[in-house]
Amino acid sequence: MASKHYNFKKSQELYARACKVIPSGLYGHQGPAEGCWIPPTSWPFFTERAQGSYFWDVDGNKYIDYMCAYGPNVLGYNDPDVDAAALAQAKLENCVTTPSTKILEFAEYLVDTVASADWAFFMKNGNDTTQGAIMCARAYTHRKKIIFINGFYHGVSMWTQKIDYPGVLPEDVANSLYVDWNDFEGLKKVVEENEGEIAAFISTPYLHGNFADNVLPADGYWQKVRNLCTEKGIVLIVDDVRAGFRLDIAGSDHYFGFEADLICFCKALANGWNVSALCGKDFLKSAMSGLSYTGSYWMSAIPFAAGIACIEKMKKLDTPKMFREKGLKLCDGLKAAAANNGFNLVVSGEPSLFYLRIADDDSLLIHQDWVQEMVHRGIYITSHHNHFMNASLTDEDIERTIEVADDAFKAIRPKY
Amino acid sequence: MTDSKTLAYINMYAVLGTLENLCELDENARALLTNKKLISIGFDVKGGPAATLMFKNGYCRMEDGCRSDCTIKLPFSSCEKFNGLIDGTVTPIPSKGLVHIGFLLKSFVPLTDLLSKYMRPDPADLEDEHFFNISTSLMFYTITVALSQIGNNDEIGKFSADHIVDGDIKMSIAGGPAATIRVRNHRMITVKKAPEKYRAIMEFGDMKLARDLFDGKVNAVACIGAGTIKMGGMISMIDNVNRILDRVGLYLA
Repeated sequence: MASKHYNFKKSQELYARACKVIPSGLYGHQGPAEGCWIPPTSWPFFTERAQGSYFWDVDGNKYIDYMCAYGPNVLGYNDPDVDAAALAQAKLENCVTTPSTKILEFAEYLVDTVASADWAFFMKNGNDTTQGAIMCARAYTHRKKIIFINGFYHGVSMWTQKIDYPGVLPEDVANSLYVDWNDFEGLKKVVEENEGEIAAFISTPYLHGNFADNVLPADGYWQKVRNLCTEKGIVLIVDDVRAGFRLDIAGSDHYFGFEADLICFCKALANGWNVSALCGKDFLKSAMSGLSYTGSYWMSAIPFAAGIACIEKMKKLDTPKMFREKGLKLCDGLKAAAANNGFNLVVSGEPSLFYLRIADDDSLLIHQDWVQEMVHRGIYITSHHNHFMNASLTDEDIERTIEVADDAFKAIRPKY
Repeated sequence: MTDSKTLAYINMYAVLGTLENLCELDENARALLTNKKLISIGFDVKGGPAATLMFKNGYCRMEDGCRSDCTIKLPFSSCEKFNGLIDGTVTPIPSKGLVHIGFLLKSFVPLTDLLSKYMRPDPADLEDEHFFNISTSLMFYTITVALSQIGNNDEIGKFSADHIVDGDIKMSIAGGPAATIRVRNHRMITVKKAPEKYRAIMEFGDMKLARDLFDGKVNAVACIGAGTIKMGGMISMIDNVNRILDRVGLYLA
């Protein structure tokens, strides 16, 4: 099948309109700067509709979407079972003075599902969960300092940002300590140098940062970290916002063979319905109970109903196994397409959250060129971020993606 | 949230260093340097930077370090005193080359005055396209050199530089000046010409856009979306350079 080249005329007109009333037009990871739309003329700015693994932009172009709204689309856009549960709840109630019993049902369900969870606390975004986790750790330990892994992303609260970010004061990050991923000796040293002062160690289950190959934990790394945190009274927080439920329905800590004290979930929790959850061990429940921490929509019932239906369906389909198999098939096909055209495509991270990089130069310029050719042909991937598998992706979608990849590699070959 | 040592490095390399470009771009600057024989001014700042400016026959070059054979030597007991020279509150006393005081007064001071005219322009002067282009080009060189000085000296700037991988970054204005920001082991140096090969690129669409950015009238993130700033390659390098760029304004304000 011949590849089609897209145009984005309407997207660009709408973006010009947006720039007049929205700072930078579109901000954050879903905007052109942070989203690395290189060049922006090769990307759709706005979508019109979505279904399953696809979305259509305002110019009528269709895409197979491997970003999945940066994670929330885990079963397929507009999944009928999740949406039916949400709509049924909508007929009853949603945001009411006193919460629906759905909060209880969802909490019980999560506690039964997540291996390390004794309780669940609901919010809206991933950032809410990491913020709640840090507050809980500090309330419990009465300590100030937090250890981060270099290359981390844990949201947008002041303490998650860095000293050189606009609007952040040195005081906001004065208690932040940094270590390298998989460097247990480095971690031990930082702990010794700050004995009795560290409230929490926070990390994603593996290093899935941007602009660099993703790195899995070294053998025994997490078990050693777990022991050190227990020995030193440091709360071990796993930020599973991005990877959560895609590796293991029981949590990514379970997948890597250890137990977090606190674990943060958001993206894949309710297939796009807005809810996030912090789960924790029993010994932290009292500290969490004492926090002044709430929000206007945190107990809305529709997302709870959606979340229950989403997890039920993920269990039924065994999505982690499915994602692994489909992710491997896709990545193997992409690597072969690259090799057939004389390029070296490196795939890293877990197959369900694969990260891609053309390694034929050290600048990512070739990679960015290939990515924009993919987008122009209806395959939505990014050049800087890991991707996401979803359960509605078919074998035909994967075959089509590999076919387009081959075509895109051929298009850039003469330039390099 | 600035420090005098970083400012001294900026004043030395990014402000006085831009005299090189002034002489290349403005014939009036060249006309001030009629000396056929090389005259050099060595600046030696205690606890801070040291450099030598060399002038001959309409041209100016800066060399790192205070040359022992400089014609005129201007020592400063502190970074604050040197910064005072730049903001006009300190009159330097040469420790060597008093006989060349005429060059200081008749050539060097008018040259720096001319630089100030371009760096802090009267809005009416910017209406003239030739003046506008020279002024914007000089600002570009000052900013790109200041960027490296902040990355090497300022505490927050060093944090940003610590997150930049090795390689060359091309910064340029389409149809205008270009520079290389070279990073090695988190130390930065600006070379005032385009690199042959780069790992990341940030290019401003035209002189007008660059000017508006320098003047804080438009935001880089918005321009990237609109396509008026082109970025490519290792975006993490650009990202961290942009964080340092945010601090340039603090020092050059």
